[in-house]
Amino acid sequence: MISGHALISRLAPLLACLGLLGVWQVAALILSTDSFPTALEALRAIPSILGDKESLINILASIRRMAIGFGVAIMVSIPLGLMMGRSRGVASFFNPLLMVTYPVPKAALMPIIMLWLGVGEVAKILVIFLGVSLPVIYHSFQGAKAVEEKMLWSGAAMGLSAMQRMTRIVLPAALPEILTGCRTGLVLALITMVTSEMIARQSGAGNILFNSLDMGQYDTVYAMIIIIGAMGIGLDAAFEKLRSRLVRWSEPGFDIPLSFA
Amino acid sequence: MIEIDRVSHVFQTSGRQNHLALSEISLTIENGAFVSILGPSGCGKSTLLYIVGGFVSPTKGVAKVRGKAITGPGPDRGPVFQEFALFPWKSVLGNVAYGPRQQGVKHAEAEAQSRRLIEMVGLRGFEHFYPKELSGGMKQRVALARTLAYHPAVLLMDEPFGALDAHTRTRLQNDLLNIWERDRKTVLFVTHSVDEAVFLSDKVVVMTRSPGRIKQVVNINLARPRRRAELLLDPRYQKYVVEIERMIDDTSEDKLQP
Repeated sequence: MISGHALISRLAPLLACLGLLGVWQVAALILSTDSFPTALEALRAIPSILGDKESLINILASIRRMAIGFGVAIMVSIPLGLMMGRSRGVASFFNPLLMVTYPVPKAALMPIIMLWLGVGEVAKILVIFLGVSLPVIYHSFQGAKAVEEKMLWSGAAMGLSAMQRMTRIVLPAALPEILTGCRTGLVLALITMVTSEMIARQSGAGNILFNSLDMGQYDTVYAMIIIIGAMGIGLDAAFEKLRSRLVRWSEPGFDIPLSFA
Repeated sequence: MIEIDRVSHVFQTSGRQNHLALSEISLTIENGAFVSILGPSGCGKSTLLYIVGGFVSPTKGVAKVRGKAITGPGPDRGPVFQEFALFPWKSVLGNVAYGPRQQGVKHAEAEAQSRRLIEMVGLRGFEHFYPKELSGGMKQRVALARTLAYHPAVLLMDEPFGALDAHTRTRLQNDLLNIWERDRKTVLFVTHSVDEAVFLSDKVVVMTRSPGRIKQVVNINLARPRRRAELLLDPRYQKYVVEIERMIDDTSEDKLQP
């Protein structure tokens, strides 16, 4: 049996979505301009986009770029962040570089990257890579820095080498923080993915969105925004599920100290 | 045998000043002895323990274990820290089995050994709990079992019961003594509690306030196995406690250097 409270809190997100769509519908009906389709019109456009082979290929290409950019970024950023967190030398070398790159919107680098690498896959993947890297490096760095010295000493006494301490103590100990960075990175991957496709229009979800804007197919524009948003929510929810499974041992809800000497 | 030969340690404070933490410490610890290092906070007693552990290098002097100069940590010297320093992503069993696994003991054998140790420290039934789910006293029991699991010849205990409440502390002291009676490992035990030092030790090394020097080494000639209830009534025990407390309170300590 689900109690009344549990039912409400479970239904709340759904109600919020329905509420938003309702407001949208009413606003669109009142304004009734061509460039602002109603919520129903936008929702109705979704099946035709997802049913269209061309669009589907475009969207899958986007997802593929995002996956590659995200994957390569975390493979580079986690080790780098961890090393920065444990070595003052490495940190002081990379810190200035990161501080300079941090405030630059990664999509703003797109024109330069396009000049060098063209408008193809590599340029877009590189931008996604840059977008994902910084939060992952930052959180890995913070996580590694916070690892208790005594924990590393305990490992050293057991005979773990410096490298083993890095992979078998620093990495798992910093994992909750690393995954927080990855979660931010995942959303940023989606954002930079769409922006890069808006700038280097060739294929992808961002391309569909802006092409339909050019052609005045506003219901498709709004439908694409809903699709991209849903992708974001879906990816984030899936990642959160994975994350909470991996770091169950550190979750606050898990914290039930027993009184026993 | 542990030999500490004119060891000094200087560290840089955050204000870039050199601070002499330990000054010319010389001390010999026989195999199987339970030795406490006692002193006010900031006297460098933990630093001395870390030097023996190989976690910190002395600025001057040498520390040796079984005739060999200490150059780094090793499984012959097992630390137990006040902060427990358990691996939070491992269960109790995973923590205790970590050392044996690292030393190449087969999985099943390491687990069987670890289960025995977990039982010995009184945590049977908690094998699959995570450190977060345990109280401070339980965590320190796990930490002790984890260190005992890889059979160090020397136990290095850094105020291990300092973060625990009085009741838990007493229970753990008793249990530690019981465990120690079985295999008589060499124990170097850092504490600021006079009672604890006298109750547990064969020898109490009293240190002066910063810079840490050895003020006096007191041999505790009380029969073993020791029982707390009897000891508290024993005038000799009381005498040791009072004598050492006076030593620590004495502020004119510079004149009393050995």
